[in-house]
Amino acid sequence: MTRGSRAAGRAGLASLQFGLVLFVLLPVFWMVSVSLKPATEPFAIPARLWPDHPTLANFLHAFRPEFRTYFINSVVVSLATVAISVSLGLLAAYSFTRTQFRLLSVLMALVLAAQMFPESAIIIPIYRIMRSADLLNTYASLIIAYVAVTLPVAIWMLRAFLMRLPPTLEEAAEIDGAGPLRTFLDIVLPLSRPGVVATAVFVLVVTWQEFLFALSFISSKSMRTLPVGINDFIGQYGISYGELMATSVLISLPVVAIFMVLQRYFVAGLTVGAVKG
Amino acid sequence: MMIPRILLAATALMAVATTAPAQTVTLRFWDNQQAESGLSIYQKEAVQRFEKENPNIKVDVTTVPYPEYQQRLLTAVQGGNAPDVATLDQIWIAAFAKAGVIEPLDARAGAAGITSATFFKGAWDSANYDGHLWGIPFNVDAWSFTYYNKRLLQQAGVDPQSLLTWKGLAAAGKKLTGNGRFGIGLFGHKGEDTTVVLDSFIFSNGGKVLNADGSCALTSPQSVAALRYLQSLVPYAPRGILNAASGDMRQLFLNGSLAMEFWPALEQPTLLKSKLDWGFVAGTAPAGKTPVGTYGGWNLAIFKSAAHKDAAWKFIRFLTRTDVNGSVVDLIPANIAAAKTFLAGKRRGPRRILKYLEDAAPRPLSPRYLEVSNIEVTLAQDVYSGKDPGAAASTACAAIDALH
Amino acid sequence: MKRGRWLVFLFVSPAVILVGVLMYYPMIGTVIDSLYATSFIDPTPKFVGLSIYREILTSIDFAEVVRNSCIWTAGVVLLQNVVGFAFALLLDQRLPGRALMRSLVLLPWVLPGVVAAILWRFMFDPQLGLINSFLIRLHLSGQGIPWLAQTSTALPAAIVAAVWKGFPFSTVVYLAGLQHVDAEQIEAAIIDGAGQLRRLFDVVLPAMRELIALNVILTTILTFNYFDMIWVLTRGGPENATNIFPTRIFELAFGEFRFGEGATYGVFSILVLTLLLALYAAIRRGAERKSAGA
Repeated sequence: MTRGSRAAGRAGLASLQFGLVLFVLLPVFWMVSVSLKPATEPFAIPARLWPDHPTLANFLHAFRPEFRTYFINSVVVSLATVAISVSLGLLAAYSFTRTQFRLLSVLMALVLAAQMFPESAIIIPIYRIMRSADLLNTYASLIIAYVAVTLPVAIWMLRAFLMRLPPTLEEAAEIDGAGPLRTFLDIVLPLSRPGVVATAVFVLVVTWQEFLFALSFISSKSMRTLPVGINDFIGQYGISYGELMATSVLISLPVVAIFMVLQRYFVAGLTVGAVKG
Repeated sequence: MMIPRILLAATALMAVATTAPAQTVTLRFWDNQQAESGLSIYQKEAVQRFEKENPNIKVDVTTVPYPEYQQRLLTAVQGGNAPDVATLDQIWIAAFAKAGVIEPLDARAGAAGITSATFFKGAWDSANYDGHLWGIPFNVDAWSFTYYNKRLLQQAGVDPQSLLTWKGLAAAGKKLTGNGRFGIGLFGHKGEDTTVVLDSFIFSNGGKVLNADGSCALTSPQSVAALRYLQSLVPYAPRGILNAASGDMRQLFLNGSLAMEFWPALEQPTLLKSKLDWGFVAGTAPAGKTPVGTYGGWNLAIFKSAAHKDAAWKFIRFLTRTDVNGSVVDLIPANIAAAKTFLAGKRRGPRRILKYLEDAAPRPLSPRYLEVSNIEVTLAQDVYSGKDPGAAASTACAAIDALH
Repeated sequence: MKRGRWLVFLFVSPAVILVGVLMYYPMIGTVIDSLYATSFIDPTPKFVGLSIYREILTSIDFAEVVRNSCIWTAGVVLLQNVVGFAFALLLDQRLPGRALMRSLVLLPWVLPGVVAAILWRFMFDPQLGLINSFLIRLHLSGQGIPWLAQTSTALPAAIVAAVWKGFPFSTVVYLAGLQHVDAEQIEAAIIDGAGQLRRLFDVVLPAMRELIALNVILTTILTFNYFDMIWVLTRGGPENATNIFPTRIFELAFGEFRFGEGATYGVFSILVLTLLLALYAAIRRGAERKSAGA
């Protein structure tokens, strides 16, 4: 292959990459476009890609007091879930990785298999449990349920990551007389940071969009989270598509932003985790 | 249940639990979240007024949007956590009564001198099941008024009054379809709005959904003729009827590409806010017959499990009072006197709306109504997708009669 | 190691307890419920054994739900993995703007599920939607196609939306895996004169077999139980064209107040999913035996 044709090939591939990503992002672009359309500008048939007179008015409408309340609730619930799920997941994954006995493997398989249950079939019994524990309408109800859902996957991801760490490091620490807890805190924890970030992002993305539990456990308006809250805005008789899309953009922004900042770790963490999964 | 309780309580310590200190009687009231913006302010004011009149009662209001209300209420009731008092859709009353989760109100209503005369007949009927009264009518509406775009009709030389007859409506639909525009917006997605429009055409032709003995009446000549008529309107409708909801038609109507649409009176506030020049006629029927709409609306009910039934009753009495009812609803007050004031002040064509409400018929009062309704949705989808109406009705009736 | 055992159990116990109490305990309740005729309007349970199972097994609804669930799961999992892998291959090339492209391609996965579903319902709108706008402008269709409103196109359309939402996760997983395919093996294949495609099938795919298997299993479970997308797009309609287990269970339990049947569908749902996974395992074992024999 000549140098020139290789360069041309690379340019071709680069534009292919660019084009495909654009194609994937087209719906997102359209969401933003509709969110900028003034309420007075009617929808054209067939649809147009960009409004004639873009405006931020929809965003001003969408950013109402309820939205702010729901937003704060979502943040609290998501962050707490991430913190608990990742910590518990790390401890459990560490145990699974470093210790081999049959009972543990069986438990692990059972914990992972829990993902197979359709939520809508077990939501009423779960609701009863929350009620008898007096947890309805609390952050705790959601955090506990979300930890139960995300913890199995968190363990799976973290375990795959921890298995890549060379056991010699820990052995050296043990020879130095450090107990298992010390070893974990001083040696394992600092080394597993990329895996922790990757898992945290995964848990955050899942938690941020959960709908059915949030709908069932929370009735009070002041405790609602965003995915349920967006339905408040739709209601039976609907708001304009512009406002709906503006709200959608606002809901998506925080996760997208966090994700953009952390994506390097995320990809790195998964890189390690996935291979040895 | 002991073990999970301890475990969860222990886990709960990790997070902040919020519990309100109980001082006076706190009444838990659940309501369908109403759509008209600004209404929640009136609702809040009404609650404040009630609390002032009854200093030892506090009302804790929870509003849930319609699409989620059924699921959330059901989960709460099944989970042993029903509110004290709630608005129930007319079509749920029979099921909730049969399930034994709401209180019969005959004695209380009798003692308070509440009679059917205060309310629209259809609303009152919908609160009665199996010889008892289970709720007090709160608000009502009827499907469906035929809304039209004045300018489009004028351009096509269509007289709006002609839409009142089936023949006129179909002719107008034909005239107004073409050049990227559509005549009549039909919707047939999986949803109750599909059923109520279907019903109103059946009712207006003298047909019924169920006979008095509960057997299916959809195969009667009147019902099948109504189905056949609806099918004849399909060429004038925007594409995608089988996944369209009534709300999906709004954008098309507002941007001038849809000339006529079926909506309840509740659509008026949205249209009043737009720049569109619109009008409406009250239903449509074959020449010589009276248009009969389908009743919709909500009744206030007290749950069996309620801790404060007397307070709940006081609150119901308050909300349905002539001077209060009109300010806390976005549908139409079920109290006729309140409805007259409400319509005169807030809706176009109040007298036509009143007349249509008086003529409207309720949906079947069956504890298994929701299953009947889903079968009707399938029937509507069969009809809109071109299947033979008679055969489709037979299939639907076989399914409905198999329920009993 | 021995003295650490109690610590191990301590670490693992929160996960086991939470999953046990919140998932298994209700699940056992669901199985028991399915043996009783209970519904909202008739709350006194009557033991009926397997008669609800028999009734459901012979219903047309059930056959349709099983068929849809299998098409939906197989379609989404297959496409999601193929598209995900293709994007991973592309993004693995050292091309300008690679880092940016890698984060952008993940956007659909990060978008909240309800938002993505609302967006796609709007994309597919026969009159206002972007997809039909393109078809009309390019003169591929005169009036546009009502994608979600025809029994023939509704399920494929829903699959497209779900793949769009889900493929980026597979891309990241495979992108990660590609970085660990032995560079020496690839070089050896190049020296052997293997073309791009041969290289892919002879070196890259075998090296990533484990990873692909894992990802397929995970996406199968998640897709089979994926509720939001179809619920927002079509609620399982038109007719029953897109009704899958999770939407049917929701419709029965909360839409029609039929808890007993909802529970039975729940049990069936677990059975069908187990079967799907077993089938997959069998196919893989067969393929492995074949490749070992070759």
